[in-house]
Amino acid sequence: MPTIFDQAVRDRNESAWLLPNDGTRTNHRLRRDMRRFDDTDEIDLVIVGCGAGGSVLAQRLARKGWRVAALDAGPFWDPDADWVSDEAGSHHLYWTEPRVIAGDDPVPMGSNNSGRGVGGSMVHYAGYTPRFHPSDFSTDTDDGVGADWPLTYEDLKPYYQAIEQELPVAGERWPWGDPHGYPQRPHPVGGNGEIFLRGADKLGITAKVGPVAIVNGRFGNRPHCIYRGFCLQGCKVNAKASPLITHIPDALSHGAEIRANAMVTQVVVDQRTGRALGVNYLLDGRERFQRARMVAVAGYSIETPRLLLNSASRRFPDGLCNEFDQVGRYLMVQGAPQTAGRFDAEVRMYKAPPPEVSSEEFYETDPARDYKRGFAIQTVSPLPITWAEHVAAQGHWGRALREYMSDYVHWSCLGSLCEFLALPENRVTLADEKDAHGLPVAQFAYSQCDNDRALMKQARTVMEDILHAAGADEVITINRYAHLVGGARMAADERHGVVDRNCRSFAVPNLYITDGSVLPTQGSANPALTIMAVAARAADHLTGTA
Amino acid sequence: MTGPATGRFPGFDVLTQMSHWDQVTADLISARTGPQQAPEFFTETERPTAAALLNQLTGQGDEPLRVPIMEMVDARLAAGETDGWRYADMPEDGQAWRDTLGYLDKDAHAQCGSSFAEASHPDQQKLIQAVQDGGSDGQWHGLPATRVWSLWTRYACTALYAHPHAWSEMGFPGPAYPRGYKNAGVGKREPFEVADARPAEDPVGDDA
Repeated sequence: MPTIFDQAVRDRNESAWLLPNDGTRTNHRLRRDMRRFDDTDEIDLVIVGCGAGGSVLAQRLARKGWRVAALDAGPFWDPDADWVSDEAGSHHLYWTEPRVIAGDDPVPMGSNNSGRGVGGSMVHYAGYTPRFHPSDFSTDTDDGVGADWPLTYEDLKPYYQAIEQELPVAGERWPWGDPHGYPQRPHPVGGNGEIFLRGADKLGITAKVGPVAIVNGRFGNRPHCIYRGFCLQGCKVNAKASPLITHIPDALSHGAEIRANAMVTQVVVDQRTGRALGVNYLLDGRERFQRARMVAVAGYSIETPRLLLNSASRRFPDGLCNEFDQVGRYLMVQGAPQTAGRFDAEVRMYKAPPPEVSSEEFYETDPARDYKRGFAIQTVSPLPITWAEHVAAQGHWGRALREYMSDYVHWSCLGSLCEFLALPENRVTLADEKDAHGLPVAQFAYSQCDNDRALMKQARTVMEDILHAAGADEVITINRYAHLVGGARMAADERHGVVDRNCRSFAVPNLYITDGSVLPTQGSANPALTIMAVAARAADHLTGTA
Repeated sequence: MTGPATGRFPGFDVLTQMSHWDQVTADLISARTGPQQAPEFFTETERPTAAALLNQLTGQGDEPLRVPIMEMVDARLAAGETDGWRYADMPEDGQAWRDTLGYLDKDAHAQCGSSFAEASHPDQQKLIQAVQDGGSDGQWHGLPATRVWSLWTRYACTALYAHPHAWSEMGFPGPAYPRGYKNAGVGKREPFEVADARPAEDPVGDDA
């Protein structure tokens, strides 16, 4: 039975009700009947990228009657036909075009942090959707690190609430940051969540179930989760939220066009007026140009800066929006050490969604510590290939590797998200190397600072303590990274960032950036919810309903 | 699969569960266990070196070969299916494979008087270990040894643990759609899962 709450969501975003209820996952008719614009139509808005930011923007503006086309370089996924219940077979969900990584601490890309196709990286994210804390918006003032946002938490709060209802998010009442509840009750936990809760309880550390954007019970025509553990391979059930099912269907039914397999190569700017005219893109091997009254770039932290830099012209010789050398800078990843503990009992951590339990107890600056800001701890439940990476990182290979791997069912695994600080030299530039289309590829340089390293060390210690307290006889850790934000950040003025508080670029008045690259800090939170909230807020600004 | 882990999950064979998998996934896994396409990427000279290296890395050096690692890695490289990045101080993956296989063979000729593929298993293991150890300056034939190691093990592990034989060996039931799981929790099993016959055998305990 639909609840009053469900009806309220349906009135403003009908996506979950536009999906089929016959056991298949895609509304093919909605896609077939989709409105299609001509390249020569001057549409109201062309969006580059259909991930967390681009999809929300498309849905919001289509609802207001805007003529919107959203282009994505990848496919328009059908979970039934395109996705599999298998790690190696999910390689096509990631952005695997060439990129060069550099710096003292280069960050591997691909499966971990880059999406491709409609839904973006939320197609293969775990599903954690925590809010940022109020303190994330003023780390410079409070702690002398990172940056202050030109926004406050209160500015984003109504958008957090709206998106949490639309995904919807399941979890216990959240005691950290700005305390709040969630629209759906927490999911039951599997072996890995049980271990985390047990260990945390022994040490007096608060841990909570959630917040996870996986439906707990039926929501519209989206069925209940079946706990198969393949969240990171794309949800074949339609239980885990991604824009493909939470925002795109509603956008289509309100007249938006989703143009898949369209790789945008340049934002075209009128050299006289300095206004954006539209975008050049490649479709079926042909170069085309879509006219638009406004352009919104939502290609995420690597491709957004790359597109701006590749859009250099006579008027913007150093790249679009780059007069003050801000494009590509202050790109952040989170340090994500992953610690596993061994139990004689069978944990079988693959049997439940990887996102189960989290703790934000260590999120805020602790004056007793010699570092600023903090970290979160969450369950992660690597499947065999990613687990092999963890085991191989201990130095094992050959027969030893196989033997350790055969012990898989006995291991429980936690991951941290450490708030690495925004630094100007951590940035995207253009490499000499070209891609298949002849466009320079992105080079991404990353180097940690002392604060970053101190956080990683402490997070590892806490995770080891929790697993030992839960009864683990051995623990092993691998240092990893997670997520991307920044690279075209919002700031008070053009000398400190690329866009203003409403995501409008300082340099080109009808060019917006509505993705994770505008975030000035990242906290220890998974960024998806915040990216969606920022895009939803930008949409209200554009339609004058803010 | 015969080998060190044999018998840990007696009678457990992932492939017996295939009728419970969705068709798209079942087709994919069937293709993976069926005949592999003939190598296209590695040259005839590179093939035996690649096979010997990958078999050693995946612990198949002394055993009857069950998982066709070389063919799986070759297919990936032929399709240009990289991880989507390369280190600035490494060539792109395909070239890096060619270069490093050449260096490995060169090392074998210099130190063992034979090709890498024809060297004894202990000699092969010694040559591989030298790359993992990285030498005094961390360089191996002008490449950062840790990155060569990362390249080799990433491709080897991704291929091995994509294979149902490897899943059976570790008690992992593989694809789980549309069936899902009903008994999650410490010490709980589905009817089709098999208990570890040697639960106290902690491999890490020896050297941790």
